[in-house]
Amino acid sequence: MSIRIDGLSKKFGGHVAVQEASIEVGTGKLVALLGPSGSGKTTLLRLIAGLEFPDEGRVFFHGEEVTQKSAYERRAGFVFQHYALFQHLSVFDNIAFGLEVRPRATRPCKDEIRERVHCLLKLVQLEPFAKRFPAQLSGGQRQRVALARALAIEPRVLLLDEPFGALDAKVRKELRAWLRRFHDETQITSLFVTHDQEEAFEVANEVVILNHGHIQQIGAPGLIQREPANAFVHDFLGLDFQI
Amino acid sequence: MAGAIQDLTTLRNATRPRRATEEGPLVRWALILVSVAFFTAFLLLPLVAVFAEGLRRGAALYLQTFTDPVTLDAIRLTLITAAIAVPCNTVFGVAAAWAITRFEFRGKQFFSTLIDLPLWVSPVIGGLIYVLLFGSQGVLGPWLQAHHWRIIYSTPGIVIATVFVTFPFVARGLIPLMQAQGVAEEEAALTLGARGWQLFLRVTLPKIKWGLLYGVILANARAMGEFGAVSVVSGHIRGLTNTVPLQIEILYNEYAFAAAFALASLLSLLALVTLGVKSYVEWRARQQLEESQS
Amino acid sequence: MRRILPGFRLTLGFSAVYLTLIVLIPFAALTAKAFSGSWHHLWEVVTSPRVVASYQLSFGASLLASLINGVFGFITAWVLTRYSFPGRRVMDGLVDLPFALPTAVAGIALTALYAPNGWVGALLAKVGIAAAFNRLGILLALVFIGFPFVVRTLQPVLISLSEDVEEAAALLGATRFQTFWRVVFPAALPALLTGITLAFGRALGEYGSIVFISGNLPFKTEITPLLIVAKLEQYDYQGAAGIGLVMLLASFGILAVVNGVQAWNARRIYRID
Repeated sequence: MSIRIDGLSKKFGGHVAVQEASIEVGTGKLVALLGPSGSGKTTLLRLIAGLEFPDEGRVFFHGEEVTQKSAYERRAGFVFQHYALFQHLSVFDNIAFGLEVRPRATRPCKDEIRERVHCLLKLVQLEPFAKRFPAQLSGGQRQRVALARALAIEPRVLLLDEPFGALDAKVRKELRAWLRRFHDETQITSLFVTHDQEEAFEVANEVVILNHGHIQQIGAPGLIQREPANAFVHDFLGLDFQI
Repeated sequence: MAGAIQDLTTLRNATRPRRATEEGPLVRWALILVSVAFFTAFLLLPLVAVFAEGLRRGAALYLQTFTDPVTLDAIRLTLITAAIAVPCNTVFGVAAAWAITRFEFRGKQFFSTLIDLPLWVSPVIGGLIYVLLFGSQGVLGPWLQAHHWRIIYSTPGIVIATVFVTFPFVARGLIPLMQAQGVAEEEAALTLGARGWQLFLRVTLPKIKWGLLYGVILANARAMGEFGAVSVVSGHIRGLTNTVPLQIEILYNEYAFAAAFALASLLSLLALVTLGVKSYVEWRARQQLEESQS
Repeated sequence: MRRILPGFRLTLGFSAVYLTLIVLIPFAALTAKAFSGSWHHLWEVVTSPRVVASYQLSFGASLLASLINGVFGFITAWVLTRYSFPGRRVMDGLVDLPFALPTAVAGIALTALYAPNGWVGALLAKVGIAAAFNRLGILLALVFIGFPFVVRTLQPVLISLSEDVEEAAALLGATRFQTFWRVVFPAALPALLTGITLAFGRALGEYGSIVFISGNLPFKTEITPLLIVAKLEQYDYQGAAGIGLVMLLASFGILAVVNGVQAWNARRIYRID
């Protein structure tokens, strides 16, 4: 399952959020969208998910154009920065949500749903927490519930918006390594947004650097670090490395 | 208006896929239609009816209502009542809000519940309690009679009943505001040497003025329009204990409909002005909040 | 505890004395008066058939009116917070009209509208429905006065609901209706219940608008607050106090329900035990 975007542009009022962005994410790749805040990376992710619609350009999932399809039809797995968990539902019901809302014809039976949810809980190492509610979990646990919930519908692609943004440094590191392993196991085509270059370079196969809505450089982590394409990339990376 | 035009264009331009957080245009316009219809039938129509009925017999008769001495007496009594009740309740509201939002003390919950009480008991009870206290067969009745003091069926009773039904408004307007604002600025002023009244007038008052105004106008609207509680304590003595709402009732029951509605239109205008000021104050408060945040 | 800011004694002292004079002593008088005669008599008064009929009417009409307001208040709050259409601001500002409009004015206006010769009443009369001077009239007046409660308690909740939760539901394959029913509605439910309860409480005590439209027939269109006034006019202070006490207890019950709903919501969302 690959993702391809072709010349995407999006304006909000007079503000240009994304300008003629083209990216290709190969099947099974884990790609990072890296840039300072306001660089348009979250908008790009939302355009891919169908939460926003581009003024120009097209979006393809595995060669099939989805530009005119709604988020509901695209069914991308999406993990929100602030998790967006359903507060009034337990961890179990949060994860089961995507299965429960299917039309009767394609909805798995109750036992099947239970089995799937427990399988996912095991995957994200939250088995003992099935009956808890979001408010009773730590930030890292909530993040993993959000991931399990997104995976429950067996999405074709996984999109993560600042997946570790709201967590403290130690948990971030742990989850980062875990995401890398997780991706190696599932091989699901993934795209994640981050403003933390260490995170991007450590986890991703490929990094896309954005600034002011323009793509600055696309490449493997090693390549970008060796050969920054322009002054912005150079500065953006360099400043951080001196710390 | 611009939003509506945009909505209409999206209605025509059905090729754009629907955003994840919007309903289809059909659902949207059906819901708007239902709510506007309900709103028109239940809120707008009665309001229009007041003015239409008041002006039905022509402007001359409409204006003549306001030259009737009994009606003028009623207007005078209403103004006097509001002029006493509103300032009393303003002082009370500020004091109560200060105590509740600035200090911890035992019985705060009870205190706060008491402030809300008039909002959830029947206005009739608001009148009844004073009849039972000050009326001829009331607890203090014999004692008052011995001193030839009259409270029930007289102006003091009307004022007290009005004070009762309107005392929560200023406090209720201020408490959430003062809670949200916190005490950092007051504490800073203290360290700079501000004392007591200085602190209140120079630091707190400018911060709460819009909320205070909001509470005061609501209290005023209610004070001038209160019917139930005042009706119970007034005794309906013409020219003596009639407020405007009671005079409306009398005119209406005497089939002087045009006059009743003319007088009612006066109170409706007051209500509309109150809502206008309220919207303005809310808008100002939002502006102030945005300015302080940016 | 040391209190840093000035004015504790002054403000609390003043407001406590004020409340004692205006509220506590008069309510003590109410209780004293209600129990001044024999218990037997008090019981007889508050359970006499005419009084019980008024409880039934007040309770039933208030319940129905608050449920109607629950439905239309929800739709109105939704429309006002989510959509833009011509006249939205004016509508938003006028939602509070029943708060600001004196009840007597509302009473005569509604009566004029729904009387057999009124604008709406004439239409209803043609199909054989009598609204004014009937129970339907009481219901209409109670819907009017309770309308703002549901809208105003729901609006802030609908605004504060974060959009990403609804987006998440859509991405998981929920239809718009499923998103509403399974995600938005449960989140708004406590506010809806609170609003309905407040509208119910207000309706139960309403007097001003009802006296005009109900016709005030014993056993048929006589609400409880009206009976209190009737007792007072007959100088039956104890009877009035007794019925007043019953209404006061009902109000306490409503307050308890509101607090209960809020506590339930806090437990449900924040799991505070």
